[in-house]
Amino acid sequence: MPPRLQLARAAKSLTSPQFPVATFLVPFLHQQRHASILGSLSDAPGAYNKRIRRGRGPSSGKGKTSGRGHKGQKQHGKVPAGFNGGQTTDEVTHGPRGFKNIFAPEIAPVNLDRIQEWIDKGRLDASKPITLKELARSRCIHGVKDGVKLLAKNAGELRTPINIIVSRASATAVAAVEKRGGSVISRYYTAQSIRQILKGDSHPFASLEAIGGPLESIIPMSTPAPAADSGNTTPSSARIPALPKFRYRLPDPAGRTDIEYYRDPAHRGYLVHTVKEGEGPSLFFKPPKEGEKRIKRVAEAKKKAVEANKLW
Amino acid sequence: MATHVPSHVAPQTVLTTLYDFPTLEPLRFLTYPSTHLYLPPRKDLLYRAVVFEGDASRQGTASTKWRTEVHGSGRKIRPQKGSGKARLGDKKSPMLRGGGRAFGPKPRDFSTDLPKKMYDIAWRTALSYRYRRGELIVVDSLNIGGKEGGKMWIKEVFGRLGWGQGHRRSTIISSLQDAEEKVGIFSGLEDAEEEGRALLVDDVDVKDLLKTGRLVVEKRALDWMLKMHQSDLVRRTRRG
Repeated sequence: MPPRLQLARAAKSLTSPQFPVATFLVPFLHQQRHASILGSLSDAPGAYNKRIRRGRGPSSGKGKTSGRGHKGQKQHGKVPAGFNGGQTTDEVTHGPRGFKNIFAPEIAPVNLDRIQEWIDKGRLDASKPITLKELARSRCIHGVKDGVKLLAKNAGELRTPINIIVSRASATAVAAVEKRGGSVISRYYTAQSIRQILKGDSHPFASLEAIGGPLESIIPMSTPAPAADSGNTTPSSARIPALPKFRYRLPDPAGRTDIEYYRDPAHRGYLVHTVKEGEGPSLFFKPPKEGEKRIKRVAEAKKKAVEANKLW
Repeated sequence: MATHVPSHVAPQTVLTTLYDFPTLEPLRFLTYPSTHLYLPPRKDLLYRAVVFEGDASRQGTASTKWRTEVHGSGRKIRPQKGSGKARLGDKKSPMLRGGGRAFGPKPRDFSTDLPKKMYDIAWRTALSYRYRRGELIVVDSLNIGGKEGGKMWIKEVFGRLGWGQGHRRSTIISSLQDAEEKVGIFSGLEDAEEEGRALLVDDVDVKDLLKTGRLVVEKRALDWMLKMHQSDLVRRTRRG
């Protein structure tokens, strides 16, 4: 192809300075049309779909048969949905399989590399405890419904020591955080309580059961009971709840599996302080108690006494 | 205890100037949140809002009679066969003169829906668009204190300020306060349409904000507009 000679453009550049415009035309040369923005308003291109124009020529892709194929009922009219020519329909022979657990909690995952990225960008403040409120407000997690679980993807990227409070945490995530000198505390959340926290109607972690536990090391939730009078016999360890003032209190678990989860030191649960000496986190398997042994002894002694006093 | 708010999440503000009217002498600076006067331009939202308003303002009173509603008998005009002419039924057929309209318009409601939050963002986007282009002039008061106003007064003031004809006209938005004192401006702009238009703040739509070359708003009116259109910013309070 021969090179195109841009004659028109060259000629224009030559001629324009040589022929000055008549003075009476000057105001119109630099005239700018102040068109209103109203004329250029339009919806975003992705906000609507272009209508498919059927039967409007071959280049439209829906030209000749308008996307209806050749001959028969389907071309001309309506056929029942899923109709298979009278044969047992596909939906019946190969119906839906499997099931969906509608009771499974929807837990929002958050990974350690993402948290580090958010800290680096200044979106999360590592000097303060990170709760689901901070995570949601900084858009680190989205659509948090029943809880947040801390996971350990690219755990090596975590450099900053963080104090994080979540619903659950994987064992590797706990190990990674604690290796950096941080801490993980898992606490009980419900979908409703999360909504209240995000609205600012509840404290992000303080609750009655948390008093005396690991969460109280972050903020005080109780005050020591006043010195006992001579008449009252309050135990020295008793404390008066003084939760931060909010519209709603956070709930604590009532179900056995939940209580057991948050009593477990392996989960860094916030109820570990309720596990007594010699107990495990399980509420199902109880350790033998002193009292039970005594009752057994008394019963045996009684039985012996009865046997000794037998006449026949 | 004063809480430290990091700069990247701290609320931002923008400055604007408060002017005297009609001398346009600057009086002082005003501060507005950037969520009110510095929203990014969104022509899709403005489009939605303008269409929404246009739909809602349609009267929808067009009314015609269909063939069943036209007064007349259902008698067959002529025999089906043998006349050598076209087949015809009754004389109310849409094909015939004096017949009904075939599916002609009936009164209906053209209004469409738009989420309130979207509409309110569009409203503030329109004000922000004006602010960014320097076309939002906030005045202390439109009260011209005893002056008569009127067509000639408007022509003189608008001509001197470069607000009127040849400068894309101006929209004057007045608050509901001291309406009697502003009658001169309103009647003057009614007579001198080519210079601009005057609106009371509760008559203003998004489309009005975008129409002419600039907005001249009373501060009280601007505050009222912003207050009425911030449903996405304020938390809904529960009743009772």
